[in-house]
Amino acid sequence: MSKDELLAKLEHSIVMGHLDADDEGFDGTMEGTPGTLELLEEALKAEIEPGVLVESFRVAMGKVGQLFEAEEYNLADMLASAECVGKAMEIIGPALQAVSHSTKGKFLIATVEGDLHDIGKNIVATMLKGAGYQVKDLGIDVPAATILQEIRAYKPDYVGLSALLTSTMVEMEHVVRLIKEENIPGLKVFIGGAPTSQEFADKIGADYYCRDVREALDKLEEVSKVS
Amino acid sequence: MIVAAKQQLKMLSSAEMHLLHAGSCELLSRVGVRVTHTGIAKMLLERGAQRRGERILLSRELVEGALAQSARSIHFGAPDPAYSFTINGADNRVKFGTGGQALYLVQRTSNGWAKKPAGTEDLRKIVALCNQLHQVDFITRPVECDLPDDQKDVAKAKIFRQFCTKPMNLANLFKPERLESVLEIVGDPAYLSFIVSLVSSPLTMDSSAGEKLLALVQKDIPVAISSCPQGGTTAPFSEVGELLQLNAELLFGLVLANSARPGARVLYRGIPVTANLHSDASPRWCQPDSIRRLALAAQICRFYNLPCCGTAGVSDEAEPTAQGLSEKVLSWVYEAACGGQYINSALGMLEQVVSVAYYQYVLDDYALKLVKEKFRKNPSLEASQLVLNAALEVLSCFGVQPEEKTEAELLARIRHVENALEPYEEAYMEKQLEIIEKAVHQGSSTVFIKAARKGLREGYLYRGKKIEAPLDLSVVEERLAQGRLAEKNF
Repeated sequence: MSKDELLAKLEHSIVMGHLDADDEGFDGTMEGTPGTLELLEEALKAEIEPGVLVESFRVAMGKVGQLFEAEEYNLADMLASAECVGKAMEIIGPALQAVSHSTKGKFLIATVEGDLHDIGKNIVATMLKGAGYQVKDLGIDVPAATILQEIRAYKPDYVGLSALLTSTMVEMEHVVRLIKEENIPGLKVFIGGAPTSQEFADKIGADYYCRDVREALDKLEEVSKVS
Repeated sequence: MIVAAKQQLKMLSSAEMHLLHAGSCELLSRVGVRVTHTGIAKMLLERGAQRRGERILLSRELVEGALAQSARSIHFGAPDPAYSFTINGADNRVKFGTGGQALYLVQRTSNGWAKKPAGTEDLRKIVALCNQLHQVDFITRPVECDLPDDQKDVAKAKIFRQFCTKPMNLANLFKPERLESVLEIVGDPAYLSFIVSLVSSPLTMDSSAGEKLLALVQKDIPVAISSCPQGGTTAPFSEVGELLQLNAELLFGLVLANSARPGARVLYRGIPVTANLHSDASPRWCQPDSIRRLALAAQICRFYNLPCCGTAGVSDEAEPTAQGLSEKVLSWVYEAACGGQYINSALGMLEQVVSVAYYQYVLDDYALKLVKEKFRKNPSLEASQLVLNAALEVLSCFGVQPEEKTEAELLARIRHVENALEPYEEAYMEKQLEIIEKAVHQGSSTVFIKAARKGLREGYLYRGKKIEAPLDLSVVEERLAQGRLAEKNF
């Protein structure tokens, strides 16, 4: 198989959200056929440059986004494709850094203390990885002190906070205040979760409120263009 | 309300129920429930459970022992004895009540509908209003007091004592140490019941909820043990898989309650809804796919002859609409026909469980009266016919004239509710158990979301057209005006 054919197959497997040979893929029929991870291994053996691979991931995710906009794809399809890219990026990450290709930025994400909900956070984390961001997921029920400690150590460009309970919105306000007190230049705070709103974001001093994962991706793209 | 034999609907056969039971027991013995509460884990181990890391594994014998012990009949007392009733797992009496933990109150303004945060004052007014509504058989707290957590239980109890003469379900107990004060305020423990959301799906016990359950069961207060997985995010997207997991989570609760007090007075409260994976993964409470799953959960409960706390009438609409009203009618009828007995959240709720509205309470009271009459006057009518007639009549009462397209849409929803899309077979169940096991071990909702792709393509989520027509709410306005006058008498 030529390099171009291999890249085309890799791109197709991402569009189909086909992670590996154990995965049933887009319509439940793809189990047993090579998926993104097997094709990536072949591509690396064929010495296709990491930068070329990243470009094919970008093209694939662009197609996935279009299919979602056209309502041909659903959230599960989009997430499956993003997971393919996320896992692939974990594999080629070291090689990428060696040839100084940078990612779109570092994103630290957590559900605040007292809140055990992880669905929205997980979807956002997976989609961001798929879109080329370096993501560190601190999990659920994360104390403010841990978030601050991780901000100092990981030095993210963006912090995302999630809360699904009205009671934990208070904790979100507390965390945002502590982050802002750190005065870290350029660090942007994103918030989301069912009970939150733009008004709430304005009130607590968060930089951005995101209604859903698409809005999060759009706002991040805008912010990264500006910075 | 009594559901006549002909009106009862069993969407699954007895053989399929036995398979589901076996599958849930297999899940509890193979995957178990994560329990990080040392005292509760110790109690379960002493009763014969096994431990694997943080997971407590329950044998089928242990589960069936708890099923045999658990109370079959629960009496709900009331300050006005005329409102008292008994729920027995073996009979077909149905009671409807309010419910939810809404965050907002939707009110009518000169510019349409507006939403504001709900709090203590709203709780007082809603309880007072619902105490006057004839179709509200019991009152579950609809909104919480906007007070610090350690004051909520007492404040809520005072409001119920002052404004409620029906059986009182205070839902969440915030602080077990406040229980004595609550009992003292209410005056008689027989009036009270609670809800405990014991398990966070998939298969993780909430330690604080575990403590609350034990505190209530030890006082012999009725508790609805609740599990609310969302198919596609916190449970398999497959109906079969979601029911296997839901049932396992509730059976775990039954084992715990009966370990603390053999013969515990607990209700089985399964709320298996679907997640909207076409867009933002938000829960769908009143769409045909969820109505079907909620009704099946009621059928499972009645298969065990346990007292059934059903859930119906939680509209997905943000304000009172014809679409919302039609959702509620379908949901009430199927929940009752499939075995729901103590039906929670039945009135007033909007936008899943996010909002309530005075208008919606009164609207639902009228609509529910019509639905009850349909059941009473047509004992030989099957559920699918009864539900269509009821929905058309209710819509017509509020100014929505029956049109062919409305009837076609209702029929499409009815078909979706009543027709199984998946096989209830051993091999298929085993596949679902593997998905749950994988999600539990990876600790991630993305396993369920990814596994949903095939089901999404096969139409597991109903996608019909909304019933769009203005509602004539004049009768509601009139009734509300009377309600406000009566409220001043308190």
